[in-house]
Amino acid sequence: MLEIKDLDVAYGYAKVLQSVSLNLEKGQMAFLIGRNGAGKTTLLKTIIGLLKPQKGSILYQRQEITGLPTEDLYSKGLRYVAQEKKVFGNLTVQENIEIAAFASGEPLDVALGKVISIYPKLKDFLKIKAGQLSGGQRQILLVGRALVGEPRLLLIDEPTQGLAAIVIEEIVNILSSLKEKISAIIVEQNLAMMNRLADRLYILKEGKVVKAITDKSQIKQTEELEVFL
Amino acid sequence: MENYFKRKSGEDLPNSIGMFSRDRGIIGLILIAIFFLLATPLLSTHRVTDFMIFCIFAMSFDLLYGYMGRLSFGHMLYLGTGAYGCGLFINYISGNFLLAIFIGVVFAGLLAMILGLITVRATGACFALINLAFNHIGFFLVLSPLRGITRGEDGFGVSPSKLGFLNLSSRPAMFVFVLICLLLVFYFLRKLTSSPYGILIRSIKEDETRVRFLGYNTFLYKWLTFVIAGGIAGLAGVLTALNYNFVNPNAMDVNGNVGVVFACLIGGSGHLYGAIIGGMIYMVISNFLPIYIYRWEMFLGFSLLIIVFRFRMGVWGYLQKFFDYLERGGVVSRFLKREAI
Repeated sequence: MLEIKDLDVAYGYAKVLQSVSLNLEKGQMAFLIGRNGAGKTTLLKTIIGLLKPQKGSILYQRQEITGLPTEDLYSKGLRYVAQEKKVFGNLTVQENIEIAAFASGEPLDVALGKVISIYPKLKDFLKIKAGQLSGGQRQILLVGRALVGEPRLLLIDEPTQGLAAIVIEEIVNILSSLKEKISAIIVEQNLAMMNRLADRLYILKEGKVVKAITDKSQIKQTEELEVFL
Repeated sequence: MENYFKRKSGEDLPNSIGMFSRDRGIIGLILIAIFFLLATPLLSTHRVTDFMIFCIFAMSFDLLYGYMGRLSFGHMLYLGTGAYGCGLFINYISGNFLLAIFIGVVFAGLLAMILGLITVRATGACFALINLAFNHIGFFLVLSPLRGITRGEDGFGVSPSKLGFLNLSSRPAMFVFVLICLLLVFYFLRKLTSSPYGILIRSIKEDETRVRFLGYNTFLYKWLTFVIAGGIAGLAGVLTALNYNFVNPNAMDVNGNVGVVFACLIGGSGHLYGAIIGGMIYMVISNFLPIYIYRWEMFLGFSLLIIVFRFRMGVWGYLQKFFDYLERGGVVSRFLKREAI
């Protein structure tokens, strides 16, 4: 599904990623963990085309997508949910979904149905401005919007950051329902969530992958992983 | 791209423009027409016609600034291009004013197409100043290098010929013609801004990068919006030339941009009704205040400061808030509570 080889990314002279390699099979969920500044968000931004790598390649469904513009990757099924939980606050919830529906060519009612099916409460908020939603509802809206059309690979940056436990549970349930249907790379510090969802784990430190775990039983040994957070 | 201009589902529009949703659009058109008709006995037909033309210009600017969030200090360039395109066509080629209108709008649109390729790549102050620079260039082009055909500062007269029963030299005919143009522009922009395309340009205003995450080539939409705004500003220019039967470099004067910015801010940017209300307020101030206050522009400056610091929603924004309050039953429920006590 996704193969990253020897990726180097820099902001000016500062190298942020060095020789990063990563593999993801169809239907798998890979988690990226690491301390602040380890390069997790940079890696997602590079995959989605917001940053151009200095070296290395990104193969998606055996096609080279390195350096392709962000907008071109949407039609290939890549969806990026950024960290800041920023919806289009002055648009209504429905318009937020509608803009994604038209991008993917999916009829609005189908798109709405898809988003509401993962979070039925959203039906009551369709006509209100998305800026009025709580942080958790915004995050769910963003994940739901990423499911509009035919997504194949979700890139989600810290989906549970700053959210209440009950909302985190809802988000985990949503992502859990997508397992084996959609592939995902998730940046996350929540080890409980990782335990439930991760098929692969990549630990980043100072821009390098210091450990790649593909064995699920090892992922569950959270005490060992805590040192990397 | 045409799909983006119409909705695929039969659902109602989201209530993004307050109480004036789709059903009430026709009522809005009727109210606008009645308002301008009632204004004619008070302000003279010629003046109201001038006011309506400015409202068309303000709506074109609002599409760019209020909806897409791109503040331009050079929108007068397109008004001037429309005016000169129409005037020169009538003077040198044919007196047919319908063709002249078409030519003026096409000229302005074409210029916006070309310059838009450069300008829409910029944002913020850079966008505003690049447009200002082009406006300056346009102004000095018609003033000096092209004076052989534009007659420089003196300008030239525009006398369109009659077309059947249509004679735009008659003030009432011109009034009706401009009113129809205003209503058509309003209807077109209303359709456009409440379509998915409208949602898209409002999203660009909020966060362009995130629109790109959704697979949109934002450059294309920004450019298209710039061209549409330029074309409509060109129409306002054409109508100005026909209303005054005269074109001179004032039609392209960079100072004119202050007026349209003021109109959109005072009326409430991002709302077509706001552009019309703001356009009317600005025209009333600029037409009547100089009679009483010598340096009336100072008043404009102070008003702008007050709007920017205190009343950012503009007149329409506050009216909308008031309508929403009424709709939620604020007044009625308070009255009923008082009666119950």
